[in-house]
Amino acid sequence: MHIPPWFIYVAVVLVFWGACGIFQKLATNRISAESSLIWLILGFLILEPLVYPGQALWHYSRENIMWGILSGVLSNLGAWGLYAAMKSGGKASIVAPICALYPVVVVFLAPILLHESITKVQGLGVLCGLIAVVLLSA
Amino acid sequence: MSIPRIFRVRWLWYSLLCVLLWGPYTIVSKLGSREIPAPTMQFLFTLGALPVGLLLLGVRRFKTEKDGKGIFHATFTGILSGIGGMGLFAAYGSGGKTAVITTASSLYPMVTVVLAVLILRERLTWVQVVGLGFATAAFVLFSL
Repeated sequence: MHIPPWFIYVAVVLVFWGACGIFQKLATNRISAESSLIWLILGFLILEPLVYPGQALWHYSRENIMWGILSGVLSNLGAWGLYAAMKSGGKASIVAPICALYPVVVVFLAPILLHESITKVQGLGVLCGLIAVVLLSA
Repeated sequence: MSIPRIFRVRWLWYSLLCVLLWGPYTIVSKLGSREIPAPTMQFLFTLGALPVGLLLLGVRRFKTEKDGKGIFHATFTGILSGIGGMGLFAAYGSGGKTAVITTASSLYPMVTVVLAVLILRERLTWVQVVGLGFATAAFVLFSL
């Protein structure tokens, strides 16, 4: 067994996004999910001065800057879709596991768009992960 | 021939829209992270989030509930989410496989479930216990 370099970064994601689930629940106990998304984006804005790259930003290619901005658009439109699904009558216990299946899209897109392939063991890990995330989101 | 009822419910289409947006979100995050460091990616991510927030605010006629605790918790969620997002950009930038990193990072509900037990005193369901088992198996397989 070896620890890949990305493991530590994913651990950061798991801890902080895991904690998000608690605070999101506390928030949506008091305000609507759509309002919480608006205030969540304000939370992103609070971080902006800390991550402001200054002139260094213009050293990166326009294409990659565009990908960075597009990631924010797609992620937050997706979150809006999730909340709209719940608002239009979808039960959280069904909607959340469906939305949690987004890595499936990546499994299909990554070989085509990024020319990445995964090993059989990694594929089995992805399968276990998908089962896990559906069960945990239910 | 009539369309099955399940395909006529709006929430299903919204859910699928979410999946179809979050999938490409990870792909473009990977593309940008190959050159741009994680904090700068987070800066750009927020620039992209801003018009969505303004659009949502416009749809709601610039009205949100005025519950102080709710607003605090939601804003704090944004700060935590932003820090976690930087972790994801850093993971993509470190060269790992996108499908593996995306799946591993999508397992964050396992931490939520554990925190809910510890902080909110919620009880684990057997489905969640099985889910934690599969999550553990996934991480063991990723580390082989």
